[in-house]
Amino acid sequence: MTSTALNVNFFQAKKGLFSWIFSVDHKRIGLLYLYSLLTFFLVGVTLGVLMRLELLNPGKDFLEAKTYNQIFTLHGVIMIFLFIIPSIPAVFGNFFLPIMLGTDDVSFPRLNLLSWWIYIIGAIMALSTLIWGDGPADTGWTFYAPYSVKTGTNVTMSVLAAFVLGFSSILTGLNFIVTIHRLRTPGMTFMKMPLFAWALYATSWIQLLATPIIGITLLMIVAERFFGIGLFDPSIGGDPILYQHLFWIYSHPAVYIMALPAFGIVSEILPTFTQRTIFGYKAIAFSSLAIAFVGYFVWGHHMFTAGMSGPARIIFSVMTFLVAIPTAIKVFNWVATLYKGSIDLQPPLLYMLGFIFQFMVGGLSGLVLGALATDIYLHDTYFVVGHFHYVMFGGTGFAFFGALHYWYPKIWGKMYNIKIANIAFAIFFVGFNMLYFPMMIAGLMGMPRRYYDYLPEFHLPNMISTFGSWVLVTGLLLMLGNLIAGLRKKNQPKVGRDPWGGITLEWQTLSPPPVQNFDRMPVLPKDGPYDYEHKPVIKED
Amino acid sequence: MNTIKQNHNDQGHEEHPIVSYREHLSTLVALLLLTVMTVAISVFGSNLRTLSVATALLIASVKALVVAYYFMHLKYDKKLYTWLLLIVGVLFVSFLILTSIEFLNR
Repeated sequence: MTSTALNVNFFQAKKGLFSWIFSVDHKRIGLLYLYSLLTFFLVGVTLGVLMRLELLNPGKDFLEAKTYNQIFTLHGVIMIFLFIIPSIPAVFGNFFLPIMLGTDDVSFPRLNLLSWWIYIIGAIMALSTLIWGDGPADTGWTFYAPYSVKTGTNVTMSVLAAFVLGFSSILTGLNFIVTIHRLRTPGMTFMKMPLFAWALYATSWIQLLATPIIGITLLMIVAERFFGIGLFDPSIGGDPILYQHLFWIYSHPAVYIMALPAFGIVSEILPTFTQRTIFGYKAIAFSSLAIAFVGYFVWGHHMFTAGMSGPARIIFSVMTFLVAIPTAIKVFNWVATLYKGSIDLQPPLLYMLGFIFQFMVGGLSGLVLGALATDIYLHDTYFVVGHFHYVMFGGTGFAFFGALHYWYPKIWGKMYNIKIANIAFAIFFVGFNMLYFPMMIAGLMGMPRRYYDYLPEFHLPNMISTFGSWVLVTGLLLMLGNLIAGLRKKNQPKVGRDPWGGITLEWQTLSPPPVQNFDRMPVLPKDGPYDYEHKPVIKED
Repeated sequence: MNTIKQNHNDQGHEEHPIVSYREHLSTLVALLLLTVMTVAISVFGSNLRTLSVATALLIASVKALVVAYYFMHLKYDKKLYTWLLLIVGVLFVSFLILTSIEFLNR
């Protein structure tokens, strides 16, 4: 191959819509996911803002009760199945895993493209419920039986959409596992692999092993609706708690599908912006596997008030507390990495600091819910909604946007306005905490979740929460606008290969990367991926 | 024919075994016998009640292991893959046990 061919970046290689939607290049597929995910995310945000508007005052404002139920269900389905589950693996995993491993693509590029197409088909199915049949499901994203078996809304299409989306998740997980086992560059042992790859490895195993369970469970809902088999509906001999078991056997590990890749992002960004070796590499790597493993045995904590037996409740409560150990190991190691580092407060690091703070709030409020006694009082209150959003949005969502700011110059070879990015982060952070912290207060006061109306004593936290949603959306739009403006700005100076001073392999290649990922052989740092003492000298052209 | 090994240099220097016809046929016969056993228990063992379900599950698990071990070449793969399968097995059994504990104590 000529040196010119090696320098052709993946944007320039081919032009036209078809060269994108039928591309088997992992980088293009990663960006296809990014554009689709952000589109669905904005739909989910719009639905969330509508819900908050309705809850601004007690009583009916502008939505009917049934419409409200449908909106929170669709908000949940979109945010969980179309955004947060695929988010980091599908976008940044696809784009950066092969480059970080020093290879030219994932193991199965065609399967990778198929995964994206399946994702799009699933997304169309989910959104089609808006305009087709009897409207979106009104069951909540958990599709709890027996209501989901009996309601007249379009549950069948919604669960089939989740079923189809599951295949996309499984195939991506399979692809990553094989890629990590088979395509690491010579010399990169498992213990010299970047922690983002470790996080994706643990995540992929959950995707591969847990997703089929939700697949078959959702098909059982469809079978129950059409044929009245008596699986979950107690009026015909079914067991609704069995549905909850099957649902959460997947959906609790799915929380780690959402969270583990975010942990990987934090472990990448902190060393770069502190210019020091990550503290406790092995502890962080193995804690990812430990979280993935222990996470399989804690699903029952979602069902403490569902009528589950006493001994099972105690077992699941104890198991839940075990997950806190590997999670705390990670947080301690991240904080220790910051200690005495050369901290450079750039936007990606700000998002990571926001992540650590909000994930701690989410994690510690999770202990309150994992404890059997306190959960009895707080289950199905707004405390749970606040906790969940702190973990998923304050955690994974912030990690996603932090990663976008971190790898932006590598993906597009351009830079956004740092000052505006910092301001957008500040607004986003304040808006987030204004939106979700009052939810936990409302929950402690006793406000139930998923209610269309509420008593006057809950007015203040709801009002602050709705104001917070406007602040958050302002920050979000400013952030996205700044990123788009960075792409459109002409005559920018080139960002070079390594604008942040990172040492994982993606920073050794061109920005944007060439079609084959590397224009010259990447050099592994001597003592692992964060060996800043023996930092390879990265020469520009 | 005994098992022989062959190099495929284009696949990362992996060695792939060529398995004898005898081993394939023996595996097939074993699977067929286990299937006959499953059918026989379901037809003639109706008074076993719950045990007939447990027996059918046990036989199905043995069949799955035979397929994985011989037909899917787990026998010739690195031990890592056996461990991975074992972990999956442990997970599955854990799901059954935890759910049963819950159900039986209601």
